[in-house]
Amino acid sequence: MSVQTKLLKAMTYSKGLRVGTLDGYERLIAGIYGRPDRVPVILQPYTYAMGMHGLSAKKFFTEAKPFINASRNMAAYFGVDFWSPVFDFYNIELDALGQKLIWRESSEPDVDTREPLITTEDDLKHLKPPVPGRSGRMPYVVEAYERYVDIMGLPPMGYCCSPFTMAVLIRGYVNFLRDMRRNPSFAHRLMEFLTMEVVVPWVDKIVEVTNTSIVVMSDAWASAPNMTTPMVREFCLPYVEKVIKATNSAMRTVMDSGSWGEKDVKDPREILDVKMEMMTRGNGFRSLRPFFLLVWNEDYEAVGIQPIRAYAEANKVCLMLNVRPNLIEEGPVPRIVETVVKLLSEGAGNDRFVLLINLVPIGTPVEHAHAVVAAAKQFGSYPIGSPDPSTFRMPEFKPFEDWLVKEGMPVD
Amino acid sequence: MDLEKELSDAVKAGEEVKADELARKALESGMAPRDVLQKGAVAGIYEAGKLWQEGEYFLPDVILATEAFNQVMKLVEPLLEGSDGESRGRVVLGSVEGDAHDLGKNIVGAMLRSSLYEVNDLGVDVTAERFVEAAKESRPDVIGLGAYMTTTMRGMEKVIAALEDAGLRDSVKVVIGGAAVTADYADRIGADGYGPDAVEAVSLVDRLTGNA
Repeated sequence: MSVQTKLLKAMTYSKGLRVGTLDGYERLIAGIYGRPDRVPVILQPYTYAMGMHGLSAKKFFTEAKPFINASRNMAAYFGVDFWSPVFDFYNIELDALGQKLIWRESSEPDVDTREPLITTEDDLKHLKPPVPGRSGRMPYVVEAYERYVDIMGLPPMGYCCSPFTMAVLIRGYVNFLRDMRRNPSFAHRLMEFLTMEVVVPWVDKIVEVTNTSIVVMSDAWASAPNMTTPMVREFCLPYVEKVIKATNSAMRTVMDSGSWGEKDVKDPREILDVKMEMMTRGNGFRSLRPFFLLVWNEDYEAVGIQPIRAYAEANKVCLMLNVRPNLIEEGPVPRIVETVVKLLSEGAGNDRFVLLINLVPIGTPVEHAHAVVAAAKQFGSYPIGSPDPSTFRMPEFKPFEDWLVKEGMPVD
Repeated sequence: MDLEKELSDAVKAGEEVKADELARKALESGMAPRDVLQKGAVAGIYEAGKLWQEGEYFLPDVILATEAFNQVMKLVEPLLEGSDGESRGRVVLGSVEGDAHDLGKNIVGAMLRSSLYEVNDLGVDVTAERFVEAAKESRPDVIGLGAYMTTTMRGMEKVIAALEDAGLRDSVKVVIGGAAVTADYADRIGADGYGPDAVEAVSLVDRLTGNA
């Protein structure tokens, strides 16, 4: 079945025309647009996959084959509905620009914030934009996406860094704060360069390689309390809109996501409103777009799931909540199951809900990750009702090493 | 407006160039370095901290105030001598191994310095071995550990274990903080305290060192 046919099937299923059964991808699409058979569970394999395969960070984050195969193995082993290749997407464009990174043996690389690439206004004048797909580690990402499409027969969710977060990282947080306060014209020039010369061409390249219908710009630094809402509105949103208008189309949605801070302001709707604008500004035909409102565990645990669910329903947008990574790491299983049940019963409503597993620490017992997925599958069928966690049945699973031999793809 | 108040306002507003100019002017006018620090810069950073706790200031405001405070501190600290340099205790700070985040740590460091603690800031991505080395070298009263990601928090347990192995655990208090960390976690790993924000962190250090 072609991707377009699957999309159509999923969207019509989500609106009530429930013909046939859904595979994982179709379930995710149906969960974004309306009501699938059950809540979709999606995974960002990331360093958990790296650790499970005993790969070094250098290998995982520079060689596409081990990266994709390890990520795919993890997603297949745990039986999630969908996964996307998640690399260190805050670093790729910066790396391509020449920003120094710190590499470690068993965690993702980080921008070396002690040596930001832009220390003076003059530095911006001399900065050369990357050649999309060819500079730095962009070839690794391009190859990873190509391998994903080959293996899965589907387009991935594309990821890149947003211009605002890129500005903070390339300039240094404190320097950029000073720029925004005292030299806004320079801040805007930097944003313009990163938007039009770096992000837009890179998004175009990602779409060319994958034919994806969704690209997400990740924007961790556009978050309270690190940034105030007025700062985000002046220096972030207009550039999100520029990227979206320059790169989206009727069949492709580009959006900004990944920020947080609902618990750090007096009214969480202040942040939720900004998150909505990060998706919708510049994107017409809203009801046809695969938007999702992502709220992180630190925030929903503090402000409550119900008000966030109410907000999502009022704005007719899919709600995506992650399961707290430390909970998955520490367990025990009954506590994990109770939490998943709580997320489902308070967050899933009657439709438009996705459960996300991400940032699982290396060394997390596989039983715990299996418990998340199994609980979501057992209790996540619509209508959700009032599931009883004590009835949870942990399915049998093979040790990962045994599974790998029989069903895994090679990572070396 | 007197110089102390102008300096305090400049620090509170995060105007580090102005704060530096005013601090120099104050020193040139004969004001004692300790007064420039305490009545000018410290007053300003404390005001910023208070506004943050009241929800009037946000982190960027506090960060810029911290930068302005640090600028004055750089100027004044070498001029503090003898009883002027009286210290309430020694603190070692660092973000644990694998963690490159330092915002919270930097604010805590500034707040502690403004409260007359000697602060040895080891920076970011600090191994457990380095914390132990610093503990042996500077004999701090408190070690403050920062971790801002779920994937790096485990580094805090490693530091505590390393201090135990080195026979130093009983001679130093360990406090933790950072976005990923909770009071429960602090209890579980045997830390002596948890600071949810920089102002609370200073109060915690005051209590643990008997300065409260």
